[in-house]
Amino acid sequence: MRILKSILLTMALMLATAAGAQDITSVHGTVSDEMGGLMGATVCEIDGTGRIINSAVTDLNGNFTMKVKNPKDKIRFTYVGMKAQVLPINKTTFNIVMTSATTLKEVTVKSKKRMQGNALPIPEREISYATQTISMKEFEGLGITSVDEALQGRIAGLDIIGNSGDLGSGSTMRLRGVSSLSSLTDSNPLIVVDGNIREVNLSDFDLAGANNEKFAELLNINPEDIADITVLKDAAATAVYGSQGGNGVIELKTKRGVRGKPKLTYSLKLTGTYQPKGYNLLTGDDYTMMLKEAYFNPSQNDNAADQYTIPEINYLGDTGGFPDWRQYRANTDWRDAVTQWGLRQNHYVTISGGGEKASFRIGGGFDHETGTMIEQKLNRFSTRVALDYNVSDRIRVSTNFALTYTKNDMNYDGLLGIAQKKMPNMSIYEIDPDTGKETDVYYTMPRSGPYIGSAVFEHDQRTYVNPVASAHLAKNQRRTYDMSPELVINYQLLGTDDEHHQLNWRGSVYMNIFNQYDDKAYPWELNPLKYGDGINSAYTGSSKSVSFNTKQTLTFIPAFKNKDHSVMLMGRFELTSGSSNGQSTNAVGLVTGVEAPSAGGLKYSPGSWYNQWRSMYYTFSTHYAFKERYIADFTVRADGTTKFGPGHRWGYFPSVSLKWIVSDEPWMQKLKPILSTLALRPSWGRVGNQPNQNYLYTSKYGGTDKYLDMSAMAPLNIRLTDLKWQIVSSYNVGLDIHFLDEKLNLTVEGYRSTTSDMLMANYRIPSNAGYATVPYRNSGKMRNIGWEFHINTNRFIKAGKFYMDMNANFGNNRNEILEMDEYILNNLNSTYQYKNGEYLQRVQLHNPFGAIYGFKYHGVYTHNYNTFVRLNLSDEEYQQFTKGTLPDEFYEKYGWKKQPYSAPVATNADGSLIRDAKGQPLRMMFNYTNDASGRNYKFNGGDAIYDDANHDGNINALDICYLGSSLPKLTGGFGFTFNYGDWRLSTQFTYRVGNKILNMSRLNLESMIYNDNQAQAVNYRWRKESDVTTIPRAMHGEYTAFNSLVSDRYVEDGSYLRMSYAQLSYALKKNQLKWIGLNRLSFYASINNPFVLTKYSGVDPDISQSGYAPAIDYAQTPRSRSYTLGVTVDF
Amino acid sequence: MITNKINKLGLSLSTLCCLCALCVSCSDFLEIKSREEILLEDFWVEKTDVDNIVAGCYSGLQSDNVISRMIVWGEARSENMMVGEHDPVDGNLQNILKENIKTKNAYTTWDGFYSVINRCNTVLKYAPGVAERDPGYTQSELKATIAEMSALRDLCYFYLIRAFRNVPYSTVAYTDDDQVMDLPPSQFYDVLDSLILDLEKVQSYALTRYPETKPEYQTGRITKCAIWAMLCEMYLWKQDYDNCIKYADLVIEDKKNYVKERRGQGQANQSSYGNTDSRFNGYPLIDCRNGAYEAIFIDGNSQETIFELPFDKADPGYSRLGNSAVGRLYGSSDYTSFIKPSNTVAEDGSKSSQRVIYADRNKSFDSRIYWNANGDNNYGSISKYAYQMVTISGSSSITGISHGLYSYAKVNNVDHFSNSSPWIIYRLTDIMLLKAEALSQKLREGTDQAVLEYNAPLLAEAFSLVNAVNKRALYQVTLTDTLLASAYSTKSLMEDLVMQERHRELMFEGKRWFDIVRRCLREGNTNAACNAVARRSGLNAQYVLNTLRSPLIGMWAIFLPYNDEETKVNLNLAANQNPAFDSGESSISK
Repeated sequence: MRILKSILLTMALMLATAAGAQDITSVHGTVSDEMGGLMGATVCEIDGTGRIINSAVTDLNGNFTMKVKNPKDKIRFTYVGMKAQVLPINKTTFNIVMTSATTLKEVTVKSKKRMQGNALPIPEREISYATQTISMKEFEGLGITSVDEALQGRIAGLDIIGNSGDLGSGSTMRLRGVSSLSSLTDSNPLIVVDGNIREVNLSDFDLAGANNEKFAELLNINPEDIADITVLKDAAATAVYGSQGGNGVIELKTKRGVRGKPKLTYSLKLTGTYQPKGYNLLTGDDYTMMLKEAYFNPSQNDNAADQYTIPEINYLGDTGGFPDWRQYRANTDWRDAVTQWGLRQNHYVTISGGGEKASFRIGGGFDHETGTMIEQKLNRFSTRVALDYNVSDRIRVSTNFALTYTKNDMNYDGLLGIAQKKMPNMSIYEIDPDTGKETDVYYTMPRSGPYIGSAVFEHDQRTYVNPVASAHLAKNQRRTYDMSPELVINYQLLGTDDEHHQLNWRGSVYMNIFNQYDDKAYPWELNPLKYGDGINSAYTGSSKSVSFNTKQTLTFIPAFKNKDHSVMLMGRFELTSGSSNGQSTNAVGLVTGVEAPSAGGLKYSPGSWYNQWRSMYYTFSTHYAFKERYIADFTVRADGTTKFGPGHRWGYFPSVSLKWIVSDEPWMQKLKPILSTLALRPSWGRVGNQPNQNYLYTSKYGGTDKYLDMSAMAPLNIRLTDLKWQIVSSYNVGLDIHFLDEKLNLTVEGYRSTTSDMLMANYRIPSNAGYATVPYRNSGKMRNIGWEFHINTNRFIKAGKFYMDMNANFGNNRNEILEMDEYILNNLNSTYQYKNGEYLQRVQLHNPFGAIYGFKYHGVYTHNYNTFVRLNLSDEEYQQFTKGTLPDEFYEKYGWKKQPYSAPVATNADGSLIRDAKGQPLRMMFNYTNDASGRNYKFNGGDAIYDDANHDGNINALDICYLGSSLPKLTGGFGFTFNYGDWRLSTQFTYRVGNKILNMSRLNLESMIYNDNQAQAVNYRWRKESDVTTIPRAMHGEYTAFNSLVSDRYVEDGSYLRMSYAQLSYALKKNQLKWIGLNRLSFYASINNPFVLTKYSGVDPDISQSGYAPAIDYAQTPRSRSYTLGVTVDF
Repeated sequence: MITNKINKLGLSLSTLCCLCALCVSCSDFLEIKSREEILLEDFWVEKTDVDNIVAGCYSGLQSDNVISRMIVWGEARSENMMVGEHDPVDGNLQNILKENIKTKNAYTTWDGFYSVINRCNTVLKYAPGVAERDPGYTQSELKATIAEMSALRDLCYFYLIRAFRNVPYSTVAYTDDDQVMDLPPSQFYDVLDSLILDLEKVQSYALTRYPETKPEYQTGRITKCAIWAMLCEMYLWKQDYDNCIKYADLVIEDKKNYVKERRGQGQANQSSYGNTDSRFNGYPLIDCRNGAYEAIFIDGNSQETIFELPFDKADPGYSRLGNSAVGRLYGSSDYTSFIKPSNTVAEDGSKSSQRVIYADRNKSFDSRIYWNANGDNNYGSISKYAYQMVTISGSSSITGISHGLYSYAKVNNVDHFSNSSPWIIYRLTDIMLLKAEALSQKLREGTDQAVLEYNAPLLAEAFSLVNAVNKRALYQVTLTDTLLASAYSTKSLMEDLVMQERHRELMFEGKRWFDIVRRCLREGNTNAACNAVARRSGLNAQYVLNTLRSPLIGMWAIFLPYNDEETKVNLNLAANQNPAFDSGESSISK
């Protein structure tokens, strides 16, 4: 608040200086032209800033009299069509002859399009760093529903991955790969709206939601309000953001009012969404069959899955000790039961306009969405007001205000995940015992009491809630209020144009107020435990975050006589301070029907938290251009943060970028008609990252468990005396090549960025220090190398009313660990535990991340070991056996089809059998150890065949090999726009080539080791000897068989080509609209994510590698598909 | 005009500068304080700060992490325990119980103990400063704090060396990340000597009695008596028997005085059978006919106890910790146990002759059969700490879970999962038997007169101690000596008798395997461990015996290996890893 006061004081002082000594108190005279006195000419007294102090109008004869407030001011004479005259008030009588403004000398108006973000207002052609801008004009009249949609596939090097199809959750973005392995620093690019960074910090509260939180700021901005989006890529570009911009910056500029008649625009979008289905799952009938086999196979015991052991899967005809038998005779498609067509309506109204003094733009919107999962509902109201008021020629005051209110009714449970696992032979609703018909009561597996059914479901099926019931009965509501008011003052202290020295001050105050309210309730019907075990739970929580930011910027632009030189200097001071707090109450064992935890209940646990942060930034930036073709920029920023101890509190981040516009050289002029621009841009910069936690550098003491009647405390941490900034230094070389008068533009960028002093989390220390880990330590170095290629056209192909444009980009990023603390590296590498579904994580120095390791899979053993031994085959016969070329009599004898077979026996490298002392073939084993500490599993018919790479008859870690890399060779996107008159068709595609994905989702859906529902593929499982198939037998139990080890069976090619959207729009002609008084009426239809061309078997190949793990598909909720119809009307 | 402009410019510039200076001058703008935790600068100001961390040291010792390791390290490798009925099994525990120990086993981690050690060291570092600042914190109180913290730290180290042999040893508090942490392991006997030295130094500082208003402190916190008990055991491990006996006598004397004092206040466990001290050779033991089980193991703070960690149910309304380690491992009313008594224990209880653990002559009188385990080998579970009541009666009218041979015993009232029984570190009979063990070690071999004369008083005293402990557990109205002194006339017989008495008396109290290790170290071979292993079921006994008998690694096999995670970050430990164990992983092809 001190700061705010100072600003007000400054302003007051400035006003005070306007007063001064005086001699002349009034002036009079005449205003005339060649024809005589002018009536109605305006005479004004203006102060140094151009502000009007007093004014008068000439009478019929052109005479005027006006009081003068301050003789130091100037007097201005204006008349329509005449040149204005400004004179000092040095006399009392003014006889002015005005000259016509319509007879002008020839003037050349030179205007430069300037870049205006948070950096210097550099002319666009002089920009020397890596950046890419999309103007929302391109999307005008199109139904872009969110910013990430607009960016998808458009920005080279920007990877956007959809998080989930749930309402209000968005995308994960990575610009030029992940710059750090640190979990302490955010990897999302910084999002800047009109130069402001939204500071909402609820991380203490909801870590998992942090990503959604981040994304909310994009969701909270209506695409209709955005003027353009700029992505800053290299360190020189992000330099003004210092440590905040370490992962790249996405700058959004919102629209402001423009001079003109007030304009009212209304737009409506109607969108239908649905989710792609994914793998087909088993029906109830298939499921029970599969489960019976899975229980029978390991024990070969007829009673293993009979009606007494597992009544749920035996289609009982009467109670027989199990009263719920009626519930387990269905064929329920749980996934179908929880998904639906979602509908979204977006209404948005804007009014904008303005005059010489002021302009405004006010927008307000209401969105209502229903999700693709049942009972998801989102309401959002948002408004954004932008006002500009020109106090004088020199002073402009702007205020902005944005408010978003969101009410999101979410599902309590992850319904889709449960629906995929839930047993399909169970019915959704309770069956009336008398009528045999479904009632309207949801059926939930009992958790306690007699006759609850088989214990085999105790830890899985019985814990899965009935997802339909959960959707309808549980409550999980979040309401948020997000407000950000801003006040900006621009003051041009010296000249106002390029001919004079300019010194401009911009001062701004920006606040963020964010409140969030959560209410949850989970009634006992969903969780029918005993009363004491936590039924009827409820939660309410609220959190508030307030942040304050002020920026004071001085820009100095000297005017040189020699126009070859141009210089700009900027100094900025920025200060941020914020705090957040919250409280929550949790209660279990409430009275049925009560949803407020304050009612008490059996256990009542209130909690609260508080968090605050502060930072200070100093920025100095300079731009120099010689002859407008040799350009140099230098920026340095000092960041001060509360996250480090006194010794490391300040970080200094310099950057340099150069540009040589080769095409402007005199010797290049001949090529100008073809090669309109050729420019080379090298840059270097250093940025830092700070941890997202406070108080790491101090010893903290906190409460711990009581002892006897004594309250107890304990030291909580080892203080990080030496924690430093994580540093990223990067080089970038860019090349801009524009052809044919900017009709075809090409940009190539290459970069290399090195991250050092990485802030590695949970750094393991010897625990004899009293702690097993220190929270963070600077350790390791990694590098990203990549290149990008970006091309776009500007009415390149044109024929009459038709023109077409295209954009395309592709890029590639490789990361590599250069140095890593041996301890951390050791701990990153997992030790193989010989478990189904376990993948081996290996990180090696000087290797890229994302390598997938596993066994090689060769199908399923067709024959049991004992059967094979009884065949008593020679080595040669064994070869024929595996090829299916034994004599026909052999196959007839056993009634087997003549085809290649296999048996679980060990072979030498030449394919001959390994035999024991008695001459019997040796059996293939899994993880055999002689001290019985291994799994010592004997393979049999129906088990997976893994490649015994070292031919030792033992499948173990030594047989694990490299199965591919999850890094794509190329990623990118391209799009085409076709215009014909008022019709426009716009399409956008994204693609990724040459990456592998570990499909863990399929592994889980084909493993048959748990009671979860499985994919229909398991219907082709091995069931009896001589079956030739690729799906192993059903074996229940995590360690009873090892048929779903991570192997190349689940490693799939992740290349894809996706159509992001196709949109068709039509704008009615103005003259067709006059009669109903409309200025514009445009319609559009769009289809989002309609298809993906891929060989990948999962539902969505849009899975990228993150951190050091490979790309793994864990069946994330897929990106939904949607169809939108929209209309925009200008009144 | 221009001056005006410049004036204004200057003004606003200077304002801006002021503004910046304002912020720069408050460089403490970037200094923010946590509202949820207390920072070092604001701590260690007054006595309460010290008291709070002292309490935190004790409650750190009470954590599931620590108690479960006291059980697993001290007992799980002995013949007393086997895998319980709990489903799913705890693979790590199962591997310990099956003697299939790898360096990756989670029970080879020791962070819980070192956390307490560091808390103690932190108090020792900062408490003197508090004494200077806070006049309410006197020098004698400071000394008592030093004694208390040193004793807790030394107790932790004592557990660590008994389990791992050589461990990293530091008496410096770790507060900063730039301190040297990857210490090499210190040798077993070096650590033991340091501990003894330290305790000898601080023993006089410790309190003998806590205020009468805080009766629970007497056994729940470190007293002089507790330090003596530790010294007594440490000297026994050091094979310094005279000092062991010296400190055992101090403990016994103190306990006698304490019981006298409490009787004076009418607070001691008064027997309905009158003063029974004489019945137990003058030792102040609680009569088993008088609810000794409940008094010692359930109610806690008994006259026999020297040092214990008290627990409470962790239910609403209770603010203290529950003993979840016991609830989990030994079982509870709503939780099947991970550990159950081994077949050896269960069968021994139902035999009437050829017993291994209990004395044949005790026949049906030894109530410890029920104190230790529910005697039915079909229904076996651990009783000690887990059962809220073990009622033994002279009549057969009491109903309950009973056993054919002993129809007049009843065990019932299994405790809640958040077990509220205290966890006993030292009690009187433990020290009595330690003294008996020291006495037995002083015996000489041979049959000539001089030896017999030298041995006679030692034998008598040792037998008197063992017999007292044994008699206390006999449910007999008229005590008859079930052990006969004449049967234990040589060193080896007496030594075996002491070990056997310790076995039945302290079963499931986290002592048995340490007793075996002590014996192995003393004898320089692993015979004691081999004998124990041979009695165990459910493991690949031959494989284990081969390892134990191996001349190269046998003595190492009775200890635990350093955890894999620890050797990764402390190469000094990796270089000195216990050679008897491996990680259980094969190297992986690149």
